[in-house]
Amino acid sequence: MTTPFLKIEGIRKEYGPVVAVQDVNLEVERGEFLTFLGPSGSGKSTTLYILAGFDNPTRGDIKLNGKSLLATPSQKRNIGMVFQRYTLFPHLSVGDNIAFPLKVRRLPKHQIDAKVKDMLRLVRLEGFEDRKPAQMSGGQQQRVALARALAYDPPVLLMDEPLSALDKKLREEIQHEIRRIHQQTEVTILYVTHDQEEALRLSDRIAVFSKGVIDQIGTGPELYANPATRFVAQFIGDSDFLPCQMLNTANSRATVSVGGSVFSDVPLHEAGKPEGAALMLRPERLSLTREPLQQSLAATVSDITFLGNNVHVATSTKSGDPLSVRLPFGHPAISGLSRGDSVWIGFDAASAHVFN
Amino acid sequence: MPSVVALPEVATVKRREFRSTLPALLFLALFFVVPVISLLLRSVLEPQLGLQNYVELLGSSTYLKVFFNTFMVSAVVTIVSLTIGFPVAWTLAIMPSRWAAIVFAILLLSMWTNLLARTYAWMVLLQRTGLINKMLMGLGVIDKPLALVNNLTGVTIGMTYIMLPFIILPLYGTIRKIDPAILQAAALCGANRWQALTRVLLPLTVPGMAAGALMVFVMSLGYFVTPALLGGTSNMMLAELIAQFVQSLVNWGMGGAAALVLLVVTLTLYAVQLRFVGDESEGGR
Amino acid sequence: MLLNFERLGWLKYVLLGITLLTALFLLLPIIFIAALSFGSSQWLIFPPPGWTLKWYSDLFADPRWLSSAWTSFRIAAIVTVLSVLLGLVTSFGLVRGRFLFRKTLRALFLTPMILPVVVLAVALYAFFLKIGLNGTMTGFVISHLVLALPFSILSISNALERFDKSIEDAAVLCGASPLEAKIRVTLPAISHGIFSAAIFSFLTSWDEVVVAIFMSSPTLRTLPVKVWATLRQDLTPVVAAASTLLILLTVILMALFALVRKGLKS
Repeated sequence: MTTPFLKIEGIRKEYGPVVAVQDVNLEVERGEFLTFLGPSGSGKSTTLYILAGFDNPTRGDIKLNGKSLLATPSQKRNIGMVFQRYTLFPHLSVGDNIAFPLKVRRLPKHQIDAKVKDMLRLVRLEGFEDRKPAQMSGGQQQRVALARALAYDPPVLLMDEPLSALDKKLREEIQHEIRRIHQQTEVTILYVTHDQEEALRLSDRIAVFSKGVIDQIGTGPELYANPATRFVAQFIGDSDFLPCQMLNTANSRATVSVGGSVFSDVPLHEAGKPEGAALMLRPERLSLTREPLQQSLAATVSDITFLGNNVHVATSTKSGDPLSVRLPFGHPAISGLSRGDSVWIGFDAASAHVFN
Repeated sequence: MPSVVALPEVATVKRREFRSTLPALLFLALFFVVPVISLLLRSVLEPQLGLQNYVELLGSSTYLKVFFNTFMVSAVVTIVSLTIGFPVAWTLAIMPSRWAAIVFAILLLSMWTNLLARTYAWMVLLQRTGLINKMLMGLGVIDKPLALVNNLTGVTIGMTYIMLPFIILPLYGTIRKIDPAILQAAALCGANRWQALTRVLLPLTVPGMAAGALMVFVMSLGYFVTPALLGGTSNMMLAELIAQFVQSLVNWGMGGAAALVLLVVTLTLYAVQLRFVGDESEGGR
Repeated sequence: MLLNFERLGWLKYVLLGITLLTALFLLLPIIFIAALSFGSSQWLIFPPPGWTLKWYSDLFADPRWLSSAWTSFRIAAIVTVLSVLLGLVTSFGLVRGRFLFRKTLRALFLTPMILPVVVLAVALYAFFLKIGLNGTMTGFVISHLVLALPFSILSISNALERFDKSIEDAAVLCGASPLEAKIRVTLPAISHGIFSAAIFSFLTSWDEVVVAIFMSSPTLRTLPVKVWATLRQDLTPVVAAASTLLILLTVILMALFALVRKGLKS
């Protein structure tokens, strides 16, 4: 068995009585782009800070190429990092900012100059060498920060919500840049964000953090099609949950009854939660008809919202639970549909999930 | 199991940073806390254990007059500074910034100019043959020179001159923070100018005024140089009395007692300020 | 409308009038002294009957003025260095530390600023009499440092509070040791705070008179004590000349301060 490139083993972090990270285990391949996705306070930033060496874990270990990093101080870990806030050195020019890690490593001057040029080309900021950080936009500053973090060829690059201070359009532009730079340099990237769209756009794999543990790790499509927990289902893509009755279970498949209809062969996930079973449905995987069908749920339309290329129909089931359906614009089922109409909602049992 | 709670930010608990405050702490303990406390202790230890110094200080009309002078001068200086300072701060807050910059430069120049140089200027200006008396006589307002110096009048003029910037700057900060839209709203509500001033603008500046006034009053209470140079020997203020006890009379007991009275009044007023208007004085810097 | 300058109407002229008069009230004594220092009248008659540089030549001819200025400068220079160094170390502890009583400690460090100076002067005088520091350079430096340190701590810790610690962390991740990161990144970034601390500390010591009156001996007196002693005797125009030079120094330091502020903004 080969040793993994980067391995996080049972990391736990307590601040007094507060547990920031409960138990995080993770293996990262060389050259991979892995994103930590989760709400604030879920432990993703703390895990990243432990990797950077700003904090020591209460328990657990981090191994790079099989060797523990914990005894190595931050400045000797050779890890690159781009922070949430702009962290360019305000008194140094762009060129000197990028040269800083090379200067503290006492590299010869010609080598430093060449590397600074390379890096500026990599982030497409040639000619900005003599600018001061204050003279640049937020997006440009983060690109310089990226160049500075990559200048010393770190094996791992950490990014802590680097785009959260930027507006949406600029964010998408720089996401594109990050992707290009990742492909070009083949550096291993660990990226923290709370924005699912950003995570899906950038990453090879996503680790979904919730309350100090990783709920699930996988590619975007895996997480969407096969969420392991209610939390993941809610966090990746849109979803509604209907309370249901479990009739029987076998081979991670369940037969459930909802609103008088019975659905069998629905994928089942044991979340270990004490709440009752719930059926998870994605609005874009549902069908809507004006006539009752077999195996469908009766509902009443409560609102219709036009969203450009598709239409969002908010309904409420007989038991009063909200259930949304998303249909392409111009779908025959919605012409003439209005609030208060009775509709029937159907779905393919394989696209639904039962969480117990 | 311990609870899982959201952390706002990665908190790095670093108690050892405390150690770097130790040199300064040690220095101040030795050369500030110990000397001040031992001075205060001497007021109850010398010439013998007891409160006799306080009995003498608060029982003699000579000393009570010093307290009275100190409070009167401080009060008048505070009221005059506030009366002049409010319109000036108000103007500064709204006037075109280029003009305001000039006024600010003058305020800072006056604040930073050596205290003795400023006091000297007033000693010369206010003397019997000084410019002020000459001008007043030239204008026919008076026909005999007024005694403007070596008395409390001189002290009050000189101290007001020194304290004005200390009240204008915090007040300026307070008025700057008021959204002009509030006064537009007052006008739309039907308030005329006088009502807008007395019911909206003035109440909103009360915290700043209180902070500035308290600061000026407290600073005036303990002032030494200006009263000593512009005041007369018969109209002493508290700081001069303390110095006199120690320097000329070598009476450490009485000196300590007078220092304690000044200290208690000062710290009490600062506590009041911190309690009620603490944030305002910070904003005014 | 009361906060809209253009729409104040007649009130605008009243307010401008008061402000103009106040500005003149604050400015004129300073100009007056400068003018008198060049006036030929021994009795400080204004306007002066003629102009002269006599008071300046008197000032520079008197070794006591020069030696007291030199004493003041030496004390102020030492106090400035110590105050900035101690202020730096203390500010790092106060701003970065997360310990109990941090706020109380900060308040204690700032108390010498609000205490009436005369109380401190008398207390230190008594203390130094006992330990034999009265009338010594060390005594002067210590007492002025007590007064200057709060200003230094205040300016530096304000600058440090506004400095994002992530920037220092970034330098450490770049490979700099924590000390190297502080020296190469944090100190340059808070240099305006350090500079203000230096100017405030210097001026606090240079202009200080109350404590100095108690600390001085016939052989060791600072410039303010010399001015004080002269003023208690008579109002000689030589003091006007000395004051004018002090005012000039203030203007230069203010200009320097403004330049640093400006340099910081650009």
